[in-house]
Amino acid sequence: MSGRHLGGGVRLGLLLWRTQLTMFVNQTLRSRKPGRLVAVAFGILILVLLWAWEAFVTVLALRASHRFSFQLDPAHLFSLAFFAYTGILVFSSLVFSLNALLLNPDLDLLLSSPRPVEAVLAGRMVVQFLRLLLLSLLFTLPSLVVWSIGTGNPMILIGFTALFLLYPVFPVVIISLATLFLVRFIPVGRGKEIVTVLSLALALGINLLNFLFNPALRDPGLRARRPGAPSLPDLPLATSPWLPPGWAGRFAGAIVTGQWPSAIEWGGLLLAFSVGLFALGARLSGRLYLAGWIAAVPPRRRRGTTPAGARPGRSIPLLHPVVSAIVLKDWRMRTRDIAQLARFAMPVIFLFVLFGFRSSRLLASVQSLGAGPVGAMLALLPSWILLLSLSSALGLTAVSLEGQSIWIYAASPNSFLRMLQAKCWSTALPTVAAVTIAAAVTEALVHPGWLWAVTATGLAIVQAIAVTTLMVGIGTIFARFDWTDVRRMLHPIAGLLGMVGFMVVVGASALLMAVAIALASATRLPLATTWLAALLLSGGGAVAAGALGLLISAVRLERLEVG
Amino acid sequence: MLSARLLTKRYGALTAVEDLDLEVSPGELFGFLGPNGAGKTTTIKMLVGLLRPTSGTARVAGYDILAEPEQAKARIGYVPDAASLYDKLSAREFLQFSGDLYHVEPRLRDRRIDALLHLFQLSDREGDFLSGFSRGMRQKISLAAALLHDPQVLFLDEPTVGLDPQSARQMKDILQDVCREGKTVFFSTHILEIAERMCTRLAIINHGRLIAVGTLQDLRRQVGSDGESLEQIFLELTGGREDDVSAVLRGLEG
Repeated sequence: MSGRHLGGGVRLGLLLWRTQLTMFVNQTLRSRKPGRLVAVAFGILILVLLWAWEAFVTVLALRASHRFSFQLDPAHLFSLAFFAYTGILVFSSLVFSLNALLLNPDLDLLLSSPRPVEAVLAGRMVVQFLRLLLLSLLFTLPSLVVWSIGTGNPMILIGFTALFLLYPVFPVVIISLATLFLVRFIPVGRGKEIVTVLSLALALGINLLNFLFNPALRDPGLRARRPGAPSLPDLPLATSPWLPPGWAGRFAGAIVTGQWPSAIEWGGLLLAFSVGLFALGARLSGRLYLAGWIAAVPPRRRRGTTPAGARPGRSIPLLHPVVSAIVLKDWRMRTRDIAQLARFAMPVIFLFVLFGFRSSRLLASVQSLGAGPVGAMLALLPSWILLLSLSSALGLTAVSLEGQSIWIYAASPNSFLRMLQAKCWSTALPTVAAVTIAAAVTEALVHPGWLWAVTATGLAIVQAIAVTTLMVGIGTIFARFDWTDVRRMLHPIAGLLGMVGFMVVVGASALLMAVAIALASATRLPLATTWLAALLLSGGGAVAAGALGLLISAVRLERLEVG
Repeated sequence: MLSARLLTKRYGALTAVEDLDLEVSPGELFGFLGPNGAGKTTTIKMLVGLLRPTSGTARVAGYDILAEPEQAKARIGYVPDAASLYDKLSAREFLQFSGDLYHVEPRLRDRRIDALLHLFQLSDREGDFLSGFSRGMRQKISLAAALLHDPQVLFLDEPTVGLDPQSARQMKDILQDVCREGKTVFFSTHILEIAERMCTRLAIINHGRLIAVGTLQDLRRQVGSDGESLEQIFLELTGGREDDVSAVLRGLEG
């Protein structure tokens, strides 16, 4: 790839970046929609608050560092940090490569323009470098500014900014090339599913390795018995002077300590490597495109579960036929899309990671409390985590799941209230089933006494019904019908409100139970009586909260226009 | 069968459709024409109950689409432009779902699905996910879903876009058959030859206002010349003139 083509790629990347920024501004500040403007103002306020907090913590850390002396090697520390950052970069680049190089609809427009393929692919990569730079600065800018001012070393801000721009080059280029190569063998449509499965496997694998090899986890008393200052783990892959994390770590360490010759040496090496790899990567990607990507494996013709001639006209007993049809349709949509299935499976895996590896220790702690309501409530903790995860994953997206196909229902002779009813069923059936099983199993393991176990399980079921209904309601108010990507189905404010709603419902229950126990011990009332009264109050409140959410959302749907 | 009175849709300062009056009788194949952005899709969406008119009323099969939406919708079949379907359902599953939404009895539903899949030559693809269907095949599935509950009025928004000549011909035959059964077909199109050959009556909308309604003969009378093609009438009424295009193209040269 000639320098002219490389320059063309950078210019195209900057043009694409500017276009994306323009679109962002048009959708937010220039949208003239009060809701969006309020959301932007709210977002900026949150960002300012978080930045202020980060700056404050950095000031404290700087002051503390003057009082205490640490024996940590900064180059070693930063090498480890950049090594960990590489993992994030690899996964974000996988998703980016699939979208930017293969799936985004503007790709045809770019490739049909009079620009070399290399420049188009390089331009896409430049956009990703800039996006990653922006994200890095979003998280670290206040710290860098405070650190630069506090130490009187402006190179900290400049050096780290350069580092955040240069370091992502190698993972982005390598992953882009690998993607371009692999789509010759793997259908493009399957890419996202493969990334999702890989992410899940990696998350499980990291946790398993951590559990198996982390001495602190295997022996919790180790830290207390081991004297001396904390030390950094030695990972040759991270600290090697032959690999980018080591170069980045040494460059960062040299900047922080003011060793300018060393900073120039390692920074120059990283710069030369990044520019060289970018040029080589753009050239190779052009070759890969021309050699085969242009004829990438088309999506396979995928058959449904109903072979020709079959008559699977199933319906769910006791449900209205329309409600039943929607519940079955939602189930099929969720379970046939691996990206959506992962959202369903993620909470279960998360629970397994959180509790599975440590179950015997945790169980022993809860059992040591003896029979009674406290043990029964603590045994509900996994069910609550499961409830939060499932109800937010399924409930908040229940109506948005229709996407642009909402016209099919809107044009049919059915009320939106019926649709909401169906969405509550399609969310509640799997969630309540999972929560009930989890609650029954944990109560059986803890065995706090049958009365406490049965009533606590009953409470978990009522809460599951109420919370899923509430989540469907909140999800409907913030429903999105324009998404093209499963990850964009969920509105961030809906996520936030869902979390708050869940905390209110479950927190109120826990508070009522605590009051019931305190009341029984302070008065002569039997504990079973105060406990059952608290259960009734708690269950009734939860159902009322769910019903309220549903009523508000019904109004929103009745006003819906499918334009 | 279909009537609209002073139907208006405003989006803030923009008036998409203004004071639209229409009357379409049973058995009519009614063509709804207009330039891009004239208000065709907005009108159709108001008539099928997907958009709420800012003012005015519309009745379909005797029911007010605003006051009695469920009764009206039960008698409507609707095929949107570039229909978004459920990609993870097979063709048969989607049609079954659609039949259930319109309360079609399961056995009758399955019989009709068989017949429609056969009619659209999709029987061998009935088990395939819709994600693998081409635009033309999706259009056929949309039409099959719209016909499944035997509607009295069929609304189609650009129904021939994306169809190959054979399928387009098949679509025209089906629409004419539907009209012969005494049902009403209301469709928008840009392909004036199709409208000219098929429609019993036509309407032309421009800038949200209905500027002409009637048979081809009526429209010819309206522009004051006999024997003109629909294309010439359309250009005359909507103000699109060939010399304007030539002037612009000449301006681009050099």
